[in-house]
Amino acid sequence: MAGETVDPAAHIFEIIGTVLSVESMTRGCSNEIYVPVSEEEFEPVINLLTARKFVLIALFGAEGFRYFLGTSLLYVFEKRGGMVILVRDADRPVSSIAAMIPSASWFERECRDGFGIEFTGAFDTRRLFLHETYPENFHPLKKSFVNGPIPTKPSIDPADEYPFRKVNGEGVYQVPVGPVHAGIIEPGHFRFSVIGETIFNLEVRMFYKHRGIEKLAEGKSPEWCIRIAEAVSGDESVANATAFCMAIEKISRIPVPDRAWQLRTILLEMERIASHLGDQAGMLLDVAFPLGASQFSVLREEVVRENERLTGSRFLRGMVAIGGLSRDIRKEQLYELGRFLDQFRKRYRIGLKIVLSTASVIDRFGTTGIIRPGLLRPLNITGPAARASGGKVDTRVNCPYGIYTRYPPIPKILKDGDVISRFTVKAAEILDSVEIIRKLLASMPEGEVRREALVLDGYTLSLVESPRGENLAFVWVKNGKIERYKVRTASFCNWQAIEHAVQGNIVPDFPVINKSLNLSYAGTDL
Amino acid sequence: MSLDFVVYMMVNTLLVIAAAPFFVSFIKKVKAWTQGRRGPSVFQTYANLAKLLKKEVIYSPHSSRIMRVTPYVNIAAALVASLFVPLAFVPEPVGGIGNIILFLYLLALGKFFMALSGLDAGSSFGGMGSSREMSISAVIEPTTIIVFAALAFVFKTLNIFTIFSVTAGSSTPVTPTLILLGISLFIILIVETSRIPVDNPETHLELTMIHEGMILEQSGRNLALMELSSGIKLTLLIALLINLVLPFGLGTTLTVAGIAIAAVLFLLKGVLLGGIIGLFESSMSKMRFFRLPSLFAMAFFFSTLTIIIEVFT
Repeated sequence: MAGETVDPAAHIFEIIGTVLSVESMTRGCSNEIYVPVSEEEFEPVINLLTARKFVLIALFGAEGFRYFLGTSLLYVFEKRGGMVILVRDADRPVSSIAAMIPSASWFERECRDGFGIEFTGAFDTRRLFLHETYPENFHPLKKSFVNGPIPTKPSIDPADEYPFRKVNGEGVYQVPVGPVHAGIIEPGHFRFSVIGETIFNLEVRMFYKHRGIEKLAEGKSPEWCIRIAEAVSGDESVANATAFCMAIEKISRIPVPDRAWQLRTILLEMERIASHLGDQAGMLLDVAFPLGASQFSVLREEVVRENERLTGSRFLRGMVAIGGLSRDIRKEQLYELGRFLDQFRKRYRIGLKIVLSTASVIDRFGTTGIIRPGLLRPLNITGPAARASGGKVDTRVNCPYGIYTRYPPIPKILKDGDVISRFTVKAAEILDSVEIIRKLLASMPEGEVRREALVLDGYTLSLVESPRGENLAFVWVKNGKIERYKVRTASFCNWQAIEHAVQGNIVPDFPVINKSLNLSYAGTDL
Repeated sequence: MSLDFVVYMMVNTLLVIAAAPFFVSFIKKVKAWTQGRRGPSVFQTYANLAKLLKKEVIYSPHSSRIMRVTPYVNIAAALVASLFVPLAFVPEPVGGIGNIILFLYLLALGKFFMALSGLDAGSSFGGMGSSREMSISAVIEPTTIIVFAALAFVFKTLNIFTIFSVTAGSSTPVTPTLILLGISLFIILIVETSRIPVDNPETHLELTMIHEGMILEQSGRNLALMELSSGIKLTLLIALLINLVLPFGLGTTLTVAGIAIAAVLFLLKGVLLGGIIGLFESSMSKMRFFRLPSLFAMAFFFSTLTIIIEVFT
C-alpha cells in the first residue's frame, strides 16, 4: 500500500529517465506513461524495471498505434499505482522476455495467436487460444482479417495434437480431466501427472470458449461495447463495464456525478459479495460439508435476488453507462438494501461461525494448496489469492478509482497462502464490502446519475478490482468507434498460480484448491 | 431344512430388497433437512431404480467380460449375504448360513469385483476409485476382523443367528460392552457404505470419488443392480447394528403377526439409525484420504476394549 505521497508517474520518469530520454515519454489520460522503446533499449529497460520491482500486468498488441505504422506491442508495467507502457515495434523480430518474467509467457503466446508475432527465444511456442482445429497462419486480431466464419480443420492428425508437458518416471501416470466436467461449470482441461495420490505436476489448458470479444468490439460504438464488456465474464459484469466506462470517461474527460459513483461502488461491492459467497459455498461443498455450503448458497441466492430488485438483473447488467449509470435507483430501494444487509450480516456471521468451528473443515482447508509469496510478482497474481499469500495488492487501495479514496476498503492480508487463508480473506472482504455499502447508503447525495457528453478520440488504460483481482481494460477510440479493446481479467494471470498451488497436494484436494481461487474460464478466454 | 427356514429366507430377502431403497433415500432426506432443503422424496430411489432398469446398458469398447459380470456377482453376493442377517425373525441356523466370516467375505467378493470393473473400463477415474477402495479395504480389514472377533468373543459363537437369538427378546443391549461394539460397527458401516467422512455419495467431483468412481462406467440395468447391492449392504449393516444394540421386537418363533410387528419395528429403528447416520454425515466434512486410518483406529480401539473388558469380567 502506498504510504508515500509521491506522484507515481514522477517516480517512473525518474527511474526510466536513466535509460531513455524523458522527451520520448508522454502521459496518458489516466496518468500512465507511454514510451516507445527501440530494440537496443528494450533489454536494459526491462532489466531496470524488474530490478525496481515493477510487475508486468499486461502485454498486448495493437495495429497502427501512435508510434509505429504496423503492429505494436504494449508492455504494461505497474508499481504502486504508477503505470508505464513500453511500446515496441513488432514488425521487426522481437525477443521473448518470458524466461525473465514468467507472466509474459501466456501473454506472448496470446499475441502470437492474435497477431502472428513470433517471439525469438521463447521457451513455449505452442498456440494458446487457437486450438488445433484453427488453420495455420490465421491471426484474428489483425485488421486485415474481417470478422466472420472461417474454415476449421475437420480432423486433427495425432501428430498435430497439443503437446502437453511430458512428465516421465517410475510410477508417474497421467490423469486427464475435462474439458467437459460433471456439474455445471465451464470447460477447461487439466492434465495431472500423479504419483499415487500426490500431484507431481499439473498443466492447465484453457481457451475452449473463445468468443472473439476483442475482434467483436472493433468498429462498434462505445455504448454498444459496454454490453460486450459485461459479457466478458458473467459474474464480473459490473467490474468490466466499470473499467471500460472509466477508460472512456478519462479519454473524453467526462466528470461522473458523485451519486453515480456511489451507486456504482454499491454495485461493485454487491458483485464482490455474491462472488465470494459462491466461492465459499463451493469450497465447503468440495470438502463434502454440505451443511455449511447450503447456508452460503442460500445467502448468495438472496444477494443476487436483491441485485435483481435493485437493477432488474441478477448479475447487475445494463446499469453502468458512460458518464454514470443508465438509470437511478430509488430511495426506497436503497433503504430496503440497507435493511437486507443488516439481516444478511447477522446470518452470514452465524454461518461463518458454524464453518470455522468445524474441525474437519479446518483440517481440510489448512496447509492445502499453498501459493508461495514469491510467486505473486513473477506471475502477477492479484485479488484475494494474492492477499491470502501476504501480497498487499488491492487496486481499490493501491490505485484508487471512483470514490474509493473516500471509502477505502480495509484489505485483510494473511501470510499462509493456503485454502483456509483464502477462505478467511474472502470472509473478511464480504463483511468489509457490507460495511462500505452501509457507509455509501448513509451518505448518498442527491442529484443526477449520468453526465451526457460527447465521446472523444484517444486511448487509455484503466484498472478495476473485480472480485477475483485486478482487471485491466485498454480502450482506444478512433473516429468515435472502438479501434481496440483489450481486457485482461485477473483470472488470466491467476490461472497460472494453480499449477504451482497444487504441487505436492493429493488429487482429491484439487477441487477445493481450484474453487478457493475461483478462476473465470470465460474471463481468461476472450 | 425346516419350513420355518424356507419362510425365513423368502421373507428376509424380500424385506431387505424392499427396505434398501428406502434407507438410501431416507438418509438423503435427513441430510437435506439439516441443510434447510426439502430434499427428494423418500421413495425417489425406487423410482431411480425402476428408471435405470428400463434403460439400455452401454459398455465401453475397452471393457472386458468383467464389466458385464460384475453387477450380477455384486447383486448375487448381496442377496446371499442378506440371508445371513435376520431382520425380523431368527430361525434355527442351518449349515454355514449366518457365519460371520462368510458374511464378511461375501461383502468383500462384491467389493473385489467392483474394484476390478472400475479398472476394466480404462477410465482414469475408475482406476483412481479402485485404487482408493483397495487401499481403504486393506487398512480397514484388520479392524473389521477385530470388531467381529470381539462380537464372537462376547457371544462365544461365530453365527449371527445364534447371536441374535441371545439378544432377541431383550429391550436393551444384553451386555454393556455391546454399546462399545456398536460404536465400532457404526464406523464399519460408514466405511463400508462409502459415506462422509470416508467418501461422499452425493458428489459430482470425479477426482474425489471412491465408490462412485468405480461405478462411473456402469449404466442402465447394470447400474441399477450395483446401486441396489449397495443399498442392500447398507440395510444389512443397519440390521446387524440394530439387532445387536436395540433388539426389542425381534422374533424367534414364526407367526404372521410376530413377523409383521417385528418388520414394522425394524423399519422404525432403521429410521432412527438412518437419522443418526444422516446427522453424523452432516456434522463434518470428508477427511483427508491419508488421515482415514485414524478413524479406523477408533473402531479398533473400541473393539479391543470390548475384548479386554470381557476377559476381565
